[in-house]
Amino acid sequence: MCVKIKKYLVNLFGLVFLFSSMSFLNEQDNLSAYILKKTKKEITSVFLLVKFTMEKEAIQIPKSNFLKASDLFKIKSGLETKGYALIASAPSKTDVFDYLLLFDINFKLKKIKVLVYRENYGGEIASKRWLAQFVKSGKEFFIPGDTISAISGATISVQSLTSSINHVMESLKKLKV
Amino acid sequence: MKIAFFYLIIFFSFLNINAQNKQPFDSIQINSNQRILNNLSGIPLGVTIGGYGEILFNKPRNLNAEIDVQRLVLLFGYKFDERVQFVTEIEFEHVKEVYIEQAFLNYNIVSGLNLRVGLMLIPMGIVNEFHEPTTFNGVERPSMDNKIIPTTWREIGIGASGRIDEMSLRYQAYLFNGFLSHDGNSGILKGSNGLRSGRQKGAKSTMSNVNIAGKVDYFGVRGLRMGLSGYHGKTQAVDQQNEIPGSEIGVSMIALDGRYSYKKFSARGQYASGTFSDTDLYNEITGRDLGKKISGYYIESAYNILPITNKQSIVGFVRYENFNTHHEVGSFLIKNPEYHRKEWTFGFSYHLSPGTVFKIDYQNKTTLIKDSNKGQFNMGVGVWF
Repeated sequence: MCVKIKKYLVNLFGLVFLFSSMSFLNEQDNLSAYILKKTKKEITSVFLLVKFTMEKEAIQIPKSNFLKASDLFKIKSGLETKGYALIASAPSKTDVFDYLLLFDINFKLKKIKVLVYRENYGGEIASKRWLAQFVKSGKEFFIPGDTISAISGATISVQSLTSSINHVMESLKKLKV
Repeated sequence: MKIAFFYLIIFFSFLNINAQNKQPFDSIQINSNQRILNNLSGIPLGVTIGGYGEILFNKPRNLNAEIDVQRLVLLFGYKFDERVQFVTEIEFEHVKEVYIEQAFLNYNIVSGLNLRVGLMLIPMGIVNEFHEPTTFNGVERPSMDNKIIPTTWREIGIGASGRIDEMSLRYQAYLFNGFLSHDGNSGILKGSNGLRSGRQKGAKSTMSNVNIAGKVDYFGVRGLRMGLSGYHGKTQAVDQQNEIPGSEIGVSMIALDGRYSYKKFSARGQYASGTFSDTDLYNEITGRDLGKKISGYYIESAYNILPITNKQSIVGFVRYENFNTHHEVGSFLIKNPEYHRKEWTFGFSYHLSPGTVFKIDYQNKTTLIKDSNKGQFNMGVGVWF
């Protein structure tokens, strides 16, 4: 029996060692670079743009309980404005997560992506298929459990992201950008 | 030695991939005088405090009521940096019994992969992992999440967890210490509650065998979440005792769970089954009546009677449970009809706000024994913050 445990432990240490070596791959160490890289990837696939620039807009969407921080960027290809990107943070139960909204030039929602989810629970909201409903619905105001389906085990984050997006959409309308 | 060499090779290949990955990005231009992202200021570091609690009133028919602070659990988390976090839950049961419910270090290696070490919940079924009072209907947790899956089931272990967003999957895989089946004086496991008494809970626990546990959750269908969990290994017996055949038994468990919600309607169900080997010998040397197989299921449906846009909700529910800790027994044992239970629970959960709930329900419990019908009325308040 002892031999068996030893064998397990050797493999275990090997695996832990492996796992930690994988952390060299981690780009999250430079978080803003990581977020921007993921954002760029999304813009390329949504707007079908390879060469583009992102200009930070001066306007700020007011913070709220569900919007801890945000940055709005204008996406430009040459001199032409193609759309907008909003990188925002919203709270989960005990932490915050970062998400990305892509808009066309009329601020119609084109894509939602969760960029970084930090907490152990609730990360289900990063599911591609679940996020797709926001865009597909064509709406500008979302009700969790109604227009947006609930996720068991991620209720708090579903509420938070939905409220956060509602707040962003409403604020953008008011700002008339 | 060979093994060490093997891991080293993989390690260097990772380093190599990493070197190729480092490319500067060229096409994003941001006014240089601006901070690139405001967002980073929003990330909380340091201490997190939270908790949950349940204060319950149970009144079995013809008996006195019991009023109890069933559990109060205080959560403390500390985030050392963006990737390293410690989580602990200190539990007070019935006011004066203190336990540590969870205490583990979570290391986020890459996006979608975490390494976890410490005292953790075994991922099996719904309630063992999601047991905060606002997340389930009924004053008491489902009874099969007591007798079949021994909630709150936690042991010390190591493993990985994470998500694959493209596939709407969450996965967990761990090595855990297992149940104690023999403490040197007597056998611990028994027919009435299967594995429950054998939980070591990380308290000076003895280890002679490693157990594996895993769960996959799929949430790619709108409103539906499905989980498949498995557990395999052997129980533990204290030193010297573990050399006596029959002191340890083999344990294999599987559970399937589903949760569905559509607008004001929701439903959940769970099936779990555990198969044990060497129970004949175990029962012989310990004089216990442990079954060869335990299994059970429950189904529940619920409906919120308030408008969906309301902050509050009043959820009416009904749940049926059917479970048996003597589903199969060894050749020297006769099935105990008392261990096959059927329970109906119906009542209301009144959510005053997200995180607070007032619950009321009635339970009807029977076994295969004639006229074993028992009724119980329950009330309770639950909080989660």
